Amino acid sequence: MKDIEYIEEMLNSYIDGELDERKSNEIKRLIDHDKEVFGLYDSLKRYKSLMDTVSQTPCPEGLHENITKQLERQILLADTDSYSHKAGRRHLIVRRLMTAAAIVVLGGILSLVVMDIFVPKSSRDKLMSNTMGKKVIKQVLYEKPFPDEAPQDKKVVQKKHYSLPLVAVLTLQTDKPIEVDWLVAKALNTTGLFNQTSAIDRQKGSVRYVLKCSRNSLVNLLGELSFVWPQCNNAKLDIGAEQAGEYVTVDNITAEQTMDICKADDFSVRLRMAKDLAVINRIVAENSERLYLADSFDYEKLIAQKPSLASTEKIPDANQPPDSSPTVAITIIVISK
Amino acid sequence: MVKFIQEQLKNAGANISIDEASLVAQAKAGNVDSMERLILKYQQRIYNTILKICGNADDAAELTQDTFVRVMQSLKKFRAQSSFYTWMFRIAVNLTLNFRKRNAKVSFQSLQGEPDESLKLQLKDFLIDKSSPQPSELAATNELHNLVINALEKLDIDQRTVVVLRDIEQMNYAEIAETLGIEIGTVKSRIARGRKNLREILEAAIQ
Repeated sequence: MKDIEYIEEMLNSYIDGELDERKSNEIKRLIDHDKEVFGLYDSLKRYKSLMDTVSQTPCPEGLHENITKQLERQILLADTDSYSHKAGRRHLIVRRLMTAAAIVVLGGILSLVVMDIFVPKSSRDKLMSNTMGKKVIKQVLYEKPFPDEAPQDKKVVQKKHYSLPLVAVLTLQTDKPIEVDWLVAKALNTTGLFNQTSAIDRQKGSVRYVLKCSRNSLVNLLGELSFVWPQCNNAKLDIGAEQAGEYVTVDNITAEQTMDICKADDFSVRLRMAKDLAVINRIVAENSERLYLADSFDYEKLIAQKPSLASTEKIPDANQPPDSSPTVAITIIVISK
Repeated sequence: MVKFIQEQLKNAGANISIDEASLVAQAKAGNVDSMERLILKYQQRIYNTILKICGNADDAAELTQDTFVRVMQSLKKFRAQSSFYTWMFRIAVNLTLNFRKRNAKVSFQSLQGEPDESLKLQLKDFLIDKSSPQPSELAATNELHNLVINALEKLDIDQRTVVVLRDIEQMNYAEIAETLGIEIGTVKSRIARGRKNLREILEAAIQ
């Protein structure tokens, strides 16, 4: 079988003129002497003759033009080199990216429009707050009578305390001037203030004691003078500060009222108390039937409670005994009626 | 210039004609006229070879076009160490074989149905009975042409390629080996088997 294949190959090569002279002679001799080989050779030759009859197919029309056009296009592209050039490639990438970005933006706008049309506003707000963590501000369609949040408390500013000296004139009008004078002198002696009197002016029908002391001493003195009040027809307290230029007269003042005013360590508080008591005492005097009011009047109830400060700043306490510095200039006048 | 190219080619021992060498050199330099002359010279042969391998006129036209574009693009790489003709045919055959591999299911365009009875008798006398001594007695009709082409279709692609290059393109064995990048021994065996198979196919067709 292999021999036949080899002979066939050799015969084909012989017909095609591919054998050298020696092999060609061998094959020629074999053809001449072997009928089978000759038959095979004849078949191959006839086959080859048949293949020679196969004509060339003409080229389709326009093939040359198409090739030329395509070549020209290739040459032009090669000249411009826009497709292979880095800048050209970059330009193409940028254009593609821009196109993609434009598509995304348009898609976003379209989805927003669709959402605006079809999704209710409450759902949109909820979605926005859930997805974006954004606090939605509720739109108020009417004017609110009150703001949402309570107004912050105004910062309490402590009033400036005027550490002005207490300047007062206590006038005691009485039918018993000698007794009252004696009681005042005794009170001064008891409290140890007699020696501090700067002047004692005794005139006909009146005695004037002028003294400077601390407020503690004054409070003690007023405590002692509480026995004087029942002997008096009228007591009047003129209080003020020459520096402030104000002067308030409280008529029909009681011992307790005098004590309260003198205990107040702040100038403005003293003046306000004096003004209030002046009005109250005048009303009480005009309406004798309401005298009980003056007797049972508790000034502490009338005064508004002071605001407490959150800060560490200390407010002077009115109940605390005033310091012993000589900040009181008081004149006690006893007048016979 | 031509003398210079001639000397270069002589030194390189390349099998290339002077006219063709000058045309190739000019085309390489970007001369469009030379390119066109080369196209005109080879387009018919390239087209026919491709047509007989791939079997479809439209595909053959497109592949011919691609072949020339590829040839002109790669012309700068051509060093004239081989024949321009075999180099160009190698490109054409490779493109066609790759196309056939990609489109394995693409069948040949059927050129005609059953052959004419008289043609059958003539062929029988010529190929089997061997009563008619000369093939020239066979009329080179379209029918005969189509009969052979249809028989070629049925050959294995490797055998078909070799048979086409040898019997239609009239390449020698060395050129075929160079074009296909195979050994001459392989060319011989493929030609022998291809012709044998083709003969059997033809005999079966005219029985």
